[in-house]
Amino acid sequence: MVMSETVSKHKLFKTINERQLMKNIILVGKPNSGKSLLFNQMTGMRQKVANFPGVTVELKSGQLGQHQLVDFPGTYSLKSLSKDEELAIEKIHEAMHNPKTALVVCNLDATRLESSLVFGLQVRDLALQHNKGVIFALNMIDEVQRFGHQIDTKQLSKDLGCAVFALSAKTLIGLQEFKQALLDAVEHAEDFIPATTTEPEQAVLENSRSLSKRYGIKADVVLKRQNRIDDFLLNSLFGGLIFLLIMFLLFQSIFTWASPLMDAVEIALAEAASVVSSSLPDGMVNDFVTDALFGGVGSFLVFVPQIMVLTFVIGLLEDTGYLARAALICHKPLSYFGLSGRSFIPYLSGHACAIPAIMAARTIESPRKRLITMMTIPLMSCSARLPVYALLIAVLIPDVQYLGGVVNLQGITFFVLYFIGIVTALLVSVLLNKMTDLNKDKADMPFILELPTYRLPHWKPLIHRILTSAKQFIRRAGPVIFMVSVVIWVLGYFPQNGELQSSYLAMLGQWIEPIFEPLGLDWRYGVAILVSFLAREVFVGALGTLFGMENADENISGLAANIQTDGLALGAGIGLMLFYVVALQCVATVATLKGETGSRKIAWGLFLGYGFLAYCLAWLCASFI
Amino acid sequence: MTLWEIKKKQTALVDGLDPTLVPAVLQRLNEMGFASGQGIKCLRRSPLRGPIVLQLGDCVYSLEQNIANRINISLS
Ligand SMILES: Nc1nc2c(ncn2[C@@H]2O[C@H](COP(=O)(O)OP(=O)(O)OP(=O)(O)O)[C@@H](O)[C@H]2O)c(=O)[nH]1
Ligand SMILES: [Mg+2]
Repeated sequence: MVMSETVSKHKLFKTINERQLMKNIILVGKPNSGKSLLFNQMTGMRQKVANFPGVTVELKSGQLGQHQLVDFPGTYSLKSLSKDEELAIEKIHEAMHNPKTALVVCNLDATRLESSLVFGLQVRDLALQHNKGVIFALNMIDEVQRFGHQIDTKQLSKDLGCAVFALSAKTLIGLQEFKQALLDAVEHAEDFIPATTTEPEQAVLENSRSLSKRYGIKADVVLKRQNRIDDFLLNSLFGGLIFLLIMFLLFQSIFTWASPLMDAVEIALAEAASVVSSSLPDGMVNDFVTDALFGGVGSFLVFVPQIMVLTFVIGLLEDTGYLARAALICHKPLSYFGLSGRSFIPYLSGHACAIPAIMAARTIESPRKRLITMMTIPLMSCSARLPVYALLIAVLIPDVQYLGGVVNLQGITFFVLYFIGIVTALLVSVLLNKMTDLNKDKADMPFILELPTYRLPHWKPLIHRILTSAKQFIRRAGPVIFMVSVVIWVLGYFPQNGELQSSYLAMLGQWIEPIFEPLGLDWRYGVAILVSFLAREVFVGALGTLFGMENADENISGLAANIQTDGLALGAGIGLMLFYVVALQCVATVATLKGETGSRKIAWGLFLGYGFLAYCLAWLCASFI
Repeated sequence: MTLWEIKKKQTALVDGLDPTLVPAVLQRLNEMGFASGQGIKCLRRSPLRGPIVLQLGDCVYSLEQNIANRINISLS
């Protein structure tokens, strides 16, 4: 007793002691200069890295030795133009006043010294005013070497009055030394206070120009390849066509590339189900395992490959640098709807998940366009809707191929559903724009976008991302689906051991049926829709359990086949699909909207508004198709 | 003339910025290198009066019309 007390006291003492010794190292720099990749390499964390400016929009800290390294959103200057920059700058100032901040690591893109140094010198001067140490990381040195160029870091370090480390976060050149140097520098940070005097603002610009002239590569050399590729991809004639083609292939691929994998998962699950059910004695346990577990949870696992393909394709676009071009191509068309070209990026990532997409809208300069973008992102068909679409398409749309299998009708339907989501978002944007249009445009922030260099995607982080997406998908919805399946199964199984139509659930179902009757749907769909307000994927799991129970005598065939046998009217089915396109059935999204817009009214207003619209659309389809 | 009137492949020198621009934008443009005497090159024009693409310093930027026509240049 006494012993354990002293031990815990000792421990407590130690943690307090460690806390005091723990210092912060902040990692700042121009957007897209490789900060997050460097951060990942130093801390072993997995922050998102992609090839366009404005990927990181929140601070993130990780462990470096016994200290904290903090990854910042990129910013071009200490005067902000957009929300993510504002946040970064505010936090930089906070860090400067914080006695725990030991060092400022300023990340420079060695291939673009001039533009990196503008911010770099501003930060250096700010750190000098606050007596903070500064270290420059000359990142992307691998690319500089590829151009056959040398940067004299010793001399540059003298000119900057700060330590400079040439390194590559990608090929790991110089990374080990840099890490060690950082850990050493934290211990005597006062030695790293810039050995310069503060300069007037204009001098910063002239200084960065002359430094880059002395040390940097010629811009024409660096930009040559990028400009050649742009000649093709941004061509006035073909640029738009290429864009449309890429988008079409993106959505088509989700369906066509994934379907063999999905079939494989489905077959494997059916195999497993029949093995398990034949090895269990007939009765309640067997029914539970086949219907609730394999029927409910299994029918949702089938869609994991699709999530992976979607992540792969979006990841590919993000890593190459094409996204910034897409934003440029879309700027003019989107501006007719009151949006910015930058809205394109959150819109696209909204097809994976609305939550990071709403955060990503922080990079949109104009506050009004940012708000409208955030409010319409929930209309992008996120991956949680994929299982629902795929199931309903498999039920309603015949599997017909055109052009020798390149295009198929089910894939096209998929594309159309995504497209309807996008079109609805644009229409809502116009509406919102009309409602808020009060001559505010005058002070609106303009569209200025840097086009990054093209890069080959790095396969390792890409594969990691794909696997993470699958894991997250399962982890997020899996437990909910499991629980819902169990509850539905229990309610549906009793009191008459397996007679669904006379179960407790059916009794409850009669209550809600009137709501869904106008949509041409019976109570089983009603139950599935209601529980899918927990998470959209639950719809599939719930239907899987319900239909599994109904066809208890057959072996598990696919859920789609079960629904087809049962019969679902075309109008009601299409209405159901549209319902899922429009409805905002995601509590986490509502919470994020509330946080990012700062308004509970907007968040819940959207929830109700989209819900109402969804219901009306479904009703129209059910009545008139 | 303004930057909006530049044609593809033309190079020019920046003369100055419209002083009535929002201060934050003015400052940002200045930091990007839109300062008198700096050379720029127009890489492309987009259809439908979309943003222009230009090379300035070591970066390629795209700017929309309402900002490009407030930057004064002279062809070189
Ligand atoms: N060749 C090369 N590419 C790099 C290096 N470091 C980063 N990159 C690439 O540069 C791009 C941008 O990297 P990020 O780490 O996302 O940049 P960031 O500075 O965090 O960007 P923001 O979060 O937008 O400010 C990615 O495509 C990286 O793969 C490097 O050392 N060499
Ligand atoms: Mg980042």
